[in-house]
Amino acid sequence: MLQLQTYLLLLLTGIMWGGVYLLMALGLNLIYGVMKVVNLAHGDFIVVAGLLAVTLYGAFQAGPVLAIPLAALLFLLVGLAVYRGLLARVDTAGPQGELRTLLITFGLSSIISNIALLIWGGQYQSVPFFQSSVRLGSLFLPESLIISSLVAFVLAFAVQFWLIRTRWGRLVRATAQSELGAASCGLNTSRIRLLTFALGAALAGAAGALTVVLIPVQAASGGFVTVQAFTLIALGGLGNYLGALLAAILLGVIEVSSSYFLGASAASAMIYLIFILVLIVRPQGLLGQRGRI
Amino acid sequence: MALFQRPHAPHRPLSRGHLIIACLLLMALALSACASSNAGGASSSEPIRIGFSITETGPQSAPAKFDLQGYQLGAEAINAQGGLLGRKVQLVYYDDQGSASTAVQLYQRLITTDKVDLLVGPYQTDLTSAIAPLVTRYKMAMPAMAANLEPFSGRYPYLVQSITQTPRYMIPVIDLAATKGYKTLALLIQDTAFPRELAQGIKQEAAARDIRVVFEATYPADTNDFTALVLKAGAAKPDMIIGATYLADAEGIIRAARASNVNAKLFAFSIGPVEPEFGSALGSAANGILGTTLWFPTLKTAGNAEFVKNFRARFGRDPDYHAAMAYATMQALAAAVKMAGSLDQTKIRDAYLKLDLQTVAGEFKLNSLGQQLGYQSYVLQWQNGRQELVWPPEVATSTVQLPHPNW
Repeated sequence: MLQLQTYLLLLLTGIMWGGVYLLMALGLNLIYGVMKVVNLAHGDFIVVAGLLAVTLYGAFQAGPVLAIPLAALLFLLVGLAVYRGLLARVDTAGPQGELRTLLITFGLSSIISNIALLIWGGQYQSVPFFQSSVRLGSLFLPESLIISSLVAFVLAFAVQFWLIRTRWGRLVRATAQSELGAASCGLNTSRIRLLTFALGAALAGAAGALTVVLIPVQAASGGFVTVQAFTLIALGGLGNYLGALLAAILLGVIEVSSSYFLGASAASAMIYLIFILVLIVRPQGLLGQRGRI
Repeated sequence: MALFQRPHAPHRPLSRGHLIIACLLLMALALSACASSNAGGASSSEPIRIGFSITETGPQSAPAKFDLQGYQLGAEAINAQGGLLGRKVQLVYYDDQGSASTAVQLYQRLITTDKVDLLVGPYQTDLTSAIAPLVTRYKMAMPAMAANLEPFSGRYPYLVQSITQTPRYMIPVIDLAATKGYKTLALLIQDTAFPRELAQGIKQEAAARDIRVVFEATYPADTNDFTALVLKAGAAKPDMIIGATYLADAEGIIRAARASNVNAKLFAFSIGPVEPEFGSALGSAANGILGTTLWFPTLKTAGNAEFVKNFRARFGRDPDYHAAMAYATMQALAAAVKMAGSLDQTKIRDAYLKLDLQTVAGEFKLNSLGQQLGYQSYVLQWQNGRQELVWPPEVATSTVQLPHPNW
């Protein structure tokens, strides 16, 4: 009986960590899905939003409830500025274009993390919110995980709904399928790309301001966050939203349960083992379409 | 015989122009050699130059800047007391950005181009290990704030340790636990060099004090979720949960323990609670948690109160243990040079090994390998949102609050 409870706890914790990882990958996935741009500064957006939440807490005792919308709004503007100022100014078509956007966002990542280092220093920072636990029978579930994963799933479904059901979402999907086709139907594709990039950045901002209650961030840890998020969306199928959800839950459950049964060092190896396996068997990712990469 | 000799290499006699250029270059070389040997020559009016690299920028720069300011204040104190061997001292330093390869280049430059008279170490064990062969090749005596014993295992006889050695970091925590009668211990170890060596020290001391390690696990440095780890540690029902950690993982373990309602009579971490960010990140959950520190402002070590006062006046902030260790390194350097009576590096190295000096960081005393035997470690506890020194009792600023209440 006790064993069963432990297994249930591990499963739930894993699913919730999956939610957290999904939250951190949402923006990256959206931007890639539409623009075929891997935003290498994505992790730095998350980290800076987290550090902003720390500063807000330090100055006004403001919690994530205030920090999340503020960070989302700020990074919406950052996204607009980055797109207008940088990405719209280069030719992003074809393989050459992908390389160019990679280099631009890589440079941006370096600039952002170093500015963050000047402002916040190199220490790990976090805020004391949602630290208690929710009791479910004899199970104790961490409040921070419950809230983060709930927000993640809600945001993921909101994005999915927006893409499928709304007019703007349809325009975005049309552009994602064929930019040339969309443009020849009279759509302003550059406006749509601008909107998508800004929205992706805003999602990163919201994720950062929330996950800082769980994972301490440091000015230079953005690169690692980007790699984690990229692994997840590559596993799910680049740009595929349902795939990302599936991959997130899979990764969370595998991480938590293998950390329990095999030890924490084996857990991080397991994730990449599975990643390699998927790349061998289904190189397009779990739910990805062939030939998109 | 050359291996890749071209069979028909063009063979031309040197033209007159080339010869003139070559001669000029040779002359320039000879002149610059004279100039630099003049600069390197010990003239009594010029200051003694102390060289080092320090991580002024990059993710590791926060503690390293305390090191730098400790060195600076230490050098100023030496000059205020009349300098060394009748000469002033002057610091020559560069930013290594936390990169080991950059540090190697910078120490090469300090030794061969700048020709500094004395060396002190950079921030971090990794960087010290990287420059150790170079420093040894040039036979430069160097006190280094590297806690791991690896650089001081006999291979690099010119390096001496000027910080508490890693295996001793958590000895006072075990001592405190033993006096409280705690018998069992769960040990969580980050899988990197410093925590691994630290864990060896904890296990040795625990065995000596009749404390059993009932659970032991390592985890990678990039672990986010500590739930599984903490649940397993808790299942062993230990009296104590002790982490050989840095800051982010110490916070993660406490968060997971609190959220999963895993309790123990004592929670202690090597690095984590000593950082002010531990308190700001965990809020009330930080209260009652123990940590180790190598120095505290209230310690009655020689000249400590004056050091704290001068540091505040000079830099406008309170010193931390890094600053104290760096300041003490300068104190040891001054004492060793005075004892050696010259800038002969072998004599200075021998003087370091013979030194028994009271510094702001405690007693500086080495064994024959240059390992630090004098410096201690202390236990602090977060109480009402503040760090208090709680062990050993003779230096405590507050009584220790144990056992830790259930979450």
